[in-house]
Amino acid sequence: MVKRGPSGWLAWIVQRASALYMLAFLVAGLLWFLVDPPGSHPAWRARMAGAGTGIATAAFFAALLAHAWVGLRDVVLDYVRPRSLCGPVLAGLGLGLVAVAAWVLRILVTVRT
Amino acid sequence: MPGNTVSSSRDRRPVFLNLAQIALPVGALASIAHRVAGVLLAIGIPLGVYALDLSLQGPQGFARMAAALEGLPSRAAVVVMAWALAHHLLAGVRHLLMDIDVGSRLPEARRSAWMVNAAGLAVALLAAVTAW
Amino acid sequence: MRLSIFRFDPDRDERPYMQDFEIELAPTDRMLLDVILRIRTLDDSLAVRKSCREGVCGSDAMNINGRNGLACVTPVAGLAEPVVLRPLPGFPVIRDLVVDMTRFFAQYDSIKPYLQNDEPPTGKERLQSPRDRARLDGLYECILCACCTSQCPSYWWNPEKFVGPAGLLQACRFIVDSRDRATAQRLDDLDDAYRLFRCRTIMNCTEVCPKGLAPSRAIEAIRSAMTRRPR
Repeated sequence: MVKRGPSGWLAWIVQRASALYMLAFLVAGLLWFLVDPPGSHPAWRARMAGAGTGIATAAFFAALLAHAWVGLRDVVLDYVRPRSLCGPVLAGLGLGLVAVAAWVLRILVTVRT
Repeated sequence: MPGNTVSSSRDRRPVFLNLAQIALPVGALASIAHRVAGVLLAIGIPLGVYALDLSLQGPQGFARMAAALEGLPSRAAVVVMAWALAHHLLAGVRHLLMDIDVGSRLPEARRSAWMVNAAGLAVALLAAVTAW
Repeated sequence: MRLSIFRFDPDRDERPYMQDFEIELAPTDRMLLDVILRIRTLDDSLAVRKSCREGVCGSDAMNINGRNGLACVTPVAGLAEPVVLRPLPGFPVIRDLVVDMTRFFAQYDSIKPYLQNDEPPTGKERLQSPRDRARLDGLYECILCACCTSQCPSYWWNPEKFVGPAGLLQACRFIVDSRDRATAQRLDDLDDAYRLFRCRTIMNCTEVCPKGLAPSRAIEAIRSAMTRRPR
């Protein structure tokens, strides 16, 4: 049987797995914020500079960007016509998401220095 | 050419697809709102990252970010984003549960769609009350 | 009863229009199709498909007050007036309420709707346990009327690439059949960005199925079969 393009299941499972991680991160983060709100800049910075928070936050943004990619790709495949425009639009979106990823990485690295 | 008449009448085949005249069941409403909310949240990603960057840069940045959230447009944006996040998250949980066959029969799915739609609006209302 | 019916004759009309009808209900008018057939005695230019007139053949699917259904099993009582009848959404209109189902059946054909088993014949039928047979319940009853597929937004946007709920329900029927040996190929065939995964679980399909089937749950079952299979 001819294989047609990349796996749809992979995108689907990435969407589901990233959703589960973000759900846990947001609930935990929100609880932490409510129980112990960082009222000042040093407190906020200190919290974000912790190794655990740094890794969890980096993973959150990885999940967020992967989730956004799958969702936005669905929107493009459904509505962007003519179909020949899908490729360029997806390429633009992909570049934008990679740029955001680089930005987040820079923020998380600088906060620890 | 004998095929000519066929192809010309084929070209004249209208398609009925007027969305205003097709029923939108509650699940479809939850679904299209899920998509709209998702796009809004995606637009919010760079804004959120900018806020994170600013708030971590220094005390002035932190204060500027806090001050920026005071303005009327940004409060309205916060309310819209609160709705988007609440609806998208709850509708997402609904789908995750359906994936493991929880609530995927029609009566339960209708009920959960109502609940998600209402809860999203309730969170937006709560955010509006808190923001003012 | 007042009705407003979508009219289009490719030989006469530039574009479709709605025509109003008013007809006194007769005691024999139990189902919407009864009324439509009596309207045809007044205006025999009205084109509509029908055959069994009891919800088995699936010919008279149409959009009734915004929702797809079979006219022959839609009771007249309880219909909001004027009853607005239009052809199935998203399907090319041949004439009036008659639509072109070519693409719909091509999608059905693409899932190979037949048992595949290359093992040598046993000399008698291939047996199934009652439990395995029960897994086909809710799947085999589909009459391919297209109510579900035509109410599905994902199909509206990608009718050439997305199989649609009716075809996927049938795909599930063969994927779960204990006698079929092509499960892996069937799953591979559906595993791209379009054929199965355009579905967003909107559930319009299950909302309108006149046989009370749940294509959305069949789709869910296919996704979960993909997740559980060894890679």
